[in-house]
Amino acid sequence: MNAPLPSRRVQLMATCLCDAFYDDVAAASVEVLEHLGCTVTVPEDQTCCGQPAFNTGDWPAARPVARHTLRVFSGDEPVVVPSGSCAKMLSHGAALLFEGEEDAATAASLARRAWELSDFIVHGLGVRAWPGRFDAKIAFHRSCHSRGARYADAALALLRSIHGVVVEEFGEAEQCCGFGGTFAVAFPHISREMGSLKLDHVLAHSHDAVVSTDMGCLMHLSGLARKAGRPFHALHVVQILRDALSQAPPSTRS
Amino acid sequence: MDDRQRILSRVRAALAPLPSRAAMPAYGDDDGVVRETAHDFAAAVARAGGRVFLEPALLVQWLVGRGDVRGYCDPSVAPEVRLALSRGLVLETKLVRRRLDEYRFGITRAAGAIAETGTIILDDATCSSRLAALAPWIHVAVVDPDTIRSRVVDAVGALGTDPYVLWCTGPSKTADVEGILIEGVHGPGEQVVLLERRFAPSSVRPTR
Amino acid sequence: MSREPIDQFAAGQTEERRASVRLGSKAGHEKRTLAIFGDYARPDRLRAIAGQIKQHTLDHLDVYLERAAARLEANGAKVHFAADADSARRTIAGILQRRQAKRAVKAKTMVSEEIELARHLEQCGIECVETDLGEFVVQVSDDVPSHIVKPILHKNRREIAETFERIGLGPYDDTPEVITRRARVFLRRKYLEADAAITGANFVSADSGRIVLVTNEGNSRFCIAATRCHVVIVGIEKVIPTERDLGVFLNLLARSATGQQLSVYTEFISGPRGPGQPDGPDEMHVVFLDNGRTDVLAGDCREILRCIRCGACLNVCPVYRQASGHAYRSVYPGPVGAVLSPLLAGDRFSEFSDLPRASSLCGACHEVCPVDIPIEDLLVRLRNRAKQTGVKSPGTPSMAAWSLIASEPPAWRAALAAGRVVDVLPSWLAPAALRAWRENHEMPSWRGGAFRTWLAKRRTKRDG
Repeated sequence: MNAPLPSRRVQLMATCLCDAFYDDVAAASVEVLEHLGCTVTVPEDQTCCGQPAFNTGDWPAARPVARHTLRVFSGDEPVVVPSGSCAKMLSHGAALLFEGEEDAATAASLARRAWELSDFIVHGLGVRAWPGRFDAKIAFHRSCHSRGARYADAALALLRSIHGVVVEEFGEAEQCCGFGGTFAVAFPHISREMGSLKLDHVLAHSHDAVVSTDMGCLMHLSGLARKAGRPFHALHVVQILRDALSQAPPSTRS
Repeated sequence: MDDRQRILSRVRAALAPLPSRAAMPAYGDDDGVVRETAHDFAAAVARAGGRVFLEPALLVQWLVGRGDVRGYCDPSVAPEVRLALSRGLVLETKLVRRRLDEYRFGITRAAGAIAETGTIILDDATCSSRLAALAPWIHVAVVDPDTIRSRVVDAVGALGTDPYVLWCTGPSKTADVEGILIEGVHGPGEQVVLLERRFAPSSVRPTR
Repeated sequence: MSREPIDQFAAGQTEERRASVRLGSKAGHEKRTLAIFGDYARPDRLRAIAGQIKQHTLDHLDVYLERAAARLEANGAKVHFAADADSARRTIAGILQRRQAKRAVKAKTMVSEEIELARHLEQCGIECVETDLGEFVVQVSDDVPSHIVKPILHKNRREIAETFERIGLGPYDDTPEVITRRARVFLRRKYLEADAAITGANFVSADSGRIVLVTNEGNSRFCIAATRCHVVIVGIEKVIPTERDLGVFLNLLARSATGQQLSVYTEFISGPRGPGQPDGPDEMHVVFLDNGRTDVLAGDCREILRCIRCGACLNVCPVYRQASGHAYRSVYPGPVGAVLSPLLAGDRFSEFSDLPRASSLCGACHEVCPVDIPIEDLLVRLRNRAKQTGVKSPGTPSMAAWSLIASEPPAWRAALAAGRVVDVLPSWLAPAALRAWRENHEMPSWRGGAFRTWLAKRRTKRDG
């Protein structure tokens, strides 16, 4: 068992995807952080980090949204987010968006306090091993935003430390799943082909779940898979962490 | 304003507003670099698809066995080596361009070599004819073991002032047709090294 | 269904073509991975150093360019500058015409394609033959290259054999070895009959005044050894500070491009042939080309000029693998091309503004780039530039409504509640983006507001 951790005040960014589709992931994030002794504030006025418009290059549309997010998450507490892509927007994208603008300093301050969830658990709170049990053979999908960051390895380390979890490799793991936000609707053919290739590899062997730090990737892959008649069980890392604590059967909500 | 002035002034105008300019990084020859520390030249030549002969007689045997008896040899190759080669081979010491395809091999002197990669170094001063080293199917480079450098970074440091320095690493090749590797495209299909005898023939290690 | 040209092109590819490109790229990427990670303990450190050397050079390009020109001239080469494609073509034609050269042989240089040199020379009555096997096949089949290192990645042996038969190199034979031998014989005659050699350069070392040419086939060696006049056309961004720095780039280039430690031939050339050497040029010319590079240097995507044309980004790119190089409609395809092509197009930027959109921003290109170019950031910058200059992006949903809703909390919360209509919305009522999504995906169930309700209940339970 881990020794009790000092109480930490953190803010949680739920992410727009979890707000709209994946409430269980956001809920699991709250539960896991509180289990670790954190006092979690979830600012009510939060909306979206601004990435969808930022990525399309519509920076005039992105700025009001990102600015709003800077205001909502002001202060000096860590801001924890169960999404690698949102974390990257906060730590890297916002700097580009506000280059030479007056919000640059505020963006830089938030960048320093923004943490992807697994990264926060392992490097912020120093947790090396996760308690409890979760019996499952899983495939771990490294989302592309994890390039150059350390949270994918942090998530893997946590997963591998859970009794009962077996992480299996699959081929061409470096290839993008094809989501890319608006890319999936602007380039539907290429996006679908990329996703199909990914599914061919990931589903080549049977798993109990496909796991990631990003619901965007999982939404895309599971949506493609269900449409193609080969559904699979998708889980965010934090759902496994929560379920392992209660040693409950694998989460049935995807 | 001529194009030179035009381009340089555009460059200066492009750089002028930069708040800061990237500094030259300090780096060591070993930064991030190759794991292995000992380099075996002969093994590296073989890995690159070339061949090494330690004795002229063995080279002659190989060439005769293939029926490649007639070729070019640089007249400044050491007399004792040329003598040994002439026992079995028909050597011409002047390359005649209009008969280029009649030479089955070209024997020229190398200016040096690189152990790390199995590379032969040729230059205009020591290579009696660029075409002799290039056109025949077989190129034999006569390498003095004292001129073998250890690594690419060492060879780069010793490029010198010759106007044409050429590194050859194995036979010419292409994979343009369906990614299939074919050796012998425009250049030699066989890259051969003849090591001059100044050392124990059982091993070849670079001296620096 | 798709309104993006590159997506349409990908959808229209034959399965055969798609397989060639995908498997060829994958093989290239795997070879690179083996070579880089097999030989280097810290490859990322080496890439960072190479990137910094390049960036430093670009940030002081006036100094290094002048130094390179002065040293080359001191070494006996003649140096020219060409501000644009037209100037470059005229300069090179002029050099050849002054020598009464009628036949030129060319070793692969993308810059020559950029300025459409071969066609101009033909119009001046000068034959210009491509000698790189892939480029030769492209030239005689009237095609366009699809990769910067492997120009006929998209072709199979059958297509090449048919072309060779058509141009009279022999009866149909699609054995790769026979194809290669036939090209060897044909081009050898061309080398020996030619008056001039035209090549590019991979690097120009400023302190020593040397150009460096990296090849595998021996074609550039033959072009230069068999002729008396050597013309080098090279972009101004290819300069590097010192000879020592060459070591860093040479260690990275072949490994990144093809998984070799070194390519077969590396030529270091500083002037006409040495005294006593019977073969080779008595005249060497180096033409430094701008053609839009100074505009790139002045902009916010300057890092792209670090590129050393290794092709590693093409090999790893999932979009390139699906679409193939021809989808990019320009000399430079793939991730590097998606940045460079619209930029070099100058005032024709809008014609290529779809290239930066053809990416999921996965960043794999950046990860394999030997000079550490943050390509995914540059793609987003270019998307922003397109938006600011009013270029339309078909297929990308408008972000205006989203921007309003996502910056007003009450509007956001209302949307979370109302969004459940998405579950039951018939296709003909749904916005285009939603329809496009549903073509390929099943939608997840709408759960807007559920998390916030859960949170409120939890707080009440705890506080109550």
